[in-house]
Amino acid sequence: MANSVVEKIVKEIEGYAPKAKSEHAGIVTTVGDGVVAIDGLSKAVMSEVVLFEEGKGKKLADAMHPPAGGQSELYGLILNLEEDSIRAAVLGDTARVVEGMTVKSTGRVLSVPAGEELLGRVVNAMGEPIDGKGPFKKTTLMPVERQAYGVIDRRSVSVPVQTGIKAIDAMIPIGRGQRELIIGDRSTGKTTIAIDTIISQRNEPKATRPICIYVAVGQKESKTARIVEQLRQASALEYSIIVDAPASAPAALQYLAPFAGAAIGEYFMDRGKDVVVVYDDLSKQAVAYRQLSLLLRRPPGREAYPGDIFYLHSRLLERAACLSKEKGGGSLTALPIIETQDGDVSGYIPTNVISITDGQIFLVSELFNKGIRPAIDVGISVSRVGSAAQKKAMKAVAGGLKLELAQFRELEAFMQFSQDLDKATADRIASGQRMVEVLKQKNGAPIPMEMQVAILYAAGQKLFADVPVSKVTAVEARLAEFFDTECAKTLAEIKKSGVLSDELKRELNRTIEEFRLAHPELFHNDLRSR
Amino acid sequence: METIYAQALWQMVEKGMKPKEVVMKLRESLENRGRVILMPKIARAFARIAEREHRKRAVTLSVAHEKDALKAEREVKKVLEELGASAEDIEVHVDDSLIGGWRLEGREWLLDASYKKSLLSIYNRATQ
Repeated sequence: MANSVVEKIVKEIEGYAPKAKSEHAGIVTTVGDGVVAIDGLSKAVMSEVVLFEEGKGKKLADAMHPPAGGQSELYGLILNLEEDSIRAAVLGDTARVVEGMTVKSTGRVLSVPAGEELLGRVVNAMGEPIDGKGPFKKTTLMPVERQAYGVIDRRSVSVPVQTGIKAIDAMIPIGRGQRELIIGDRSTGKTTIAIDTIISQRNEPKATRPICIYVAVGQKESKTARIVEQLRQASALEYSIIVDAPASAPAALQYLAPFAGAAIGEYFMDRGKDVVVVYDDLSKQAVAYRQLSLLLRRPPGREAYPGDIFYLHSRLLERAACLSKEKGGGSLTALPIIETQDGDVSGYIPTNVISITDGQIFLVSELFNKGIRPAIDVGISVSRVGSAAQKKAMKAVAGGLKLELAQFRELEAFMQFSQDLDKATADRIASGQRMVEVLKQKNGAPIPMEMQVAILYAAGQKLFADVPVSKVTAVEARLAEFFDTECAKTLAEIKKSGVLSDELKRELNRTIEEFRLAHPELFHNDLRSR
Repeated sequence: METIYAQALWQMVEKGMKPKEVVMKLRESLENRGRVILMPKIARAFARIAEREHRKRAVTLSVAHEKDALKAEREVKKVLEELGASAEDIEVHVDDSLIGGWRLEGREWLLDASYKKSLLSIYNRATQ
């Protein structure tokens, strides 16, 4: 290089004077358990994101590289504005924050990136990818906390979310835009219902298929990895997003994850799409929020939860909506999950969320252990708005099913004390036992709506009356195969029209009769198997 | 209790009362109430308040080399004037990690005109 050029460069460097820009800042005064107190930052606002300046005093080379496995920049979220100081939750590794560290205001409230690119990806509560597939290129920032849509912007729920689970689609239908709680003890199949619902959406036409967001709060990483793999194998990952705040994540991230999931869902809803968001589970979010609130020195209330624990869940679930045509007609369906202790639905958090949602699916350990899966207690499970969204064909075959099962449960209890039953009671019990078998379903195998209609129609026509109870599930599987091969056209018509016309009923009757004739060996009931 | 007395003491001094007079009045008041025993604790609480208030007002100027201090102070005063802020006493620190330039920290604000910051921002822009 010519000497003149080198001289010019040296002169330029010598004459370089960096320009200073005033930044709003504060100093960390105390730090511990994921919460910091900050002196200064008097103009900060609630829910504002602050940036911890880690490079102070470090050599340039050290400041250039973040700690191994850590985020490049460490952020905090302002949660308390006090007279002299502010308190913030650290959104990352608290060990990286030290007393005396400078904290800079960013001037923005917490937002997460959202966009089509997130489909098929796993992100953390900050919306950062954690699946090793690289960063997002083009996303839109969505505020984590946002006011829910008002009455004028909404319309009534009218389109169903097909869960692919016979017991739910028939008796506790869920509509797009509804909030349906899935509640039960540990290991009763709550997550399975949610995952089956996500998998079931692959049966929907691509244009109207809901985007599914699964928010894992306080779950084991292994469980989330298994779910991701299950969705991938079922080809459901392409329309799903996983927001993961595992048990090892700071309480602040576990508290934020459901809001991040809602924010990502709103991105799609605002663009006229349907979204299903599963919050798995809100009990753990409540526990994380309790931890955070106690560390923030907020006054504890019942069970040491803060006073605004109801508001935490209500403002989250209120963001579920079915928007009016003027607003694009999108919807956000919320499927929150709550874990109960020993079947106690009268706990603080369960009663709160029950009162917020539009119904609940209650799962019972006793049924689960008996092998009745999904272990839904039909008696106390309810969907308050979903029936308006239920397809007419489903309504036609499922009407009275809930009542029949509830009566059966009562008679079943009575049966244990009495051997001599009159014929009507014995018939009702036999019919109930078979219906329970028909409603049993394997996990990971959602059934399309039209097939559910056909099977429930066959059950309503007493096809299984002559089948031993222990063989009902096997016969039902054979029947489903038969329907698939022999009356695909009829099923397609049910799917298309959503109605079970007289003509379609005749077609189904004909197929059922053909099945009975083709497999006479399946229909030999005897008293022992009753 | 002693913190409240110390805060009252601080406010009186802030309003312009002479320290000797303030202490006399405090002593009188404590004697009347039989609380003279609180005096040493009040003194310690007063020292803590004074230190905190000093920290609030303190402005720290960090420079990479001692020889840059004078030039940096001149620049800082100019910048502060432009910002409409004032700094009565500026504490000067040497922080060789800054490489060059200066960094000024107040309780509520931060002005970073160091080479380190410029280099870091170039690095971050290039790598992210």
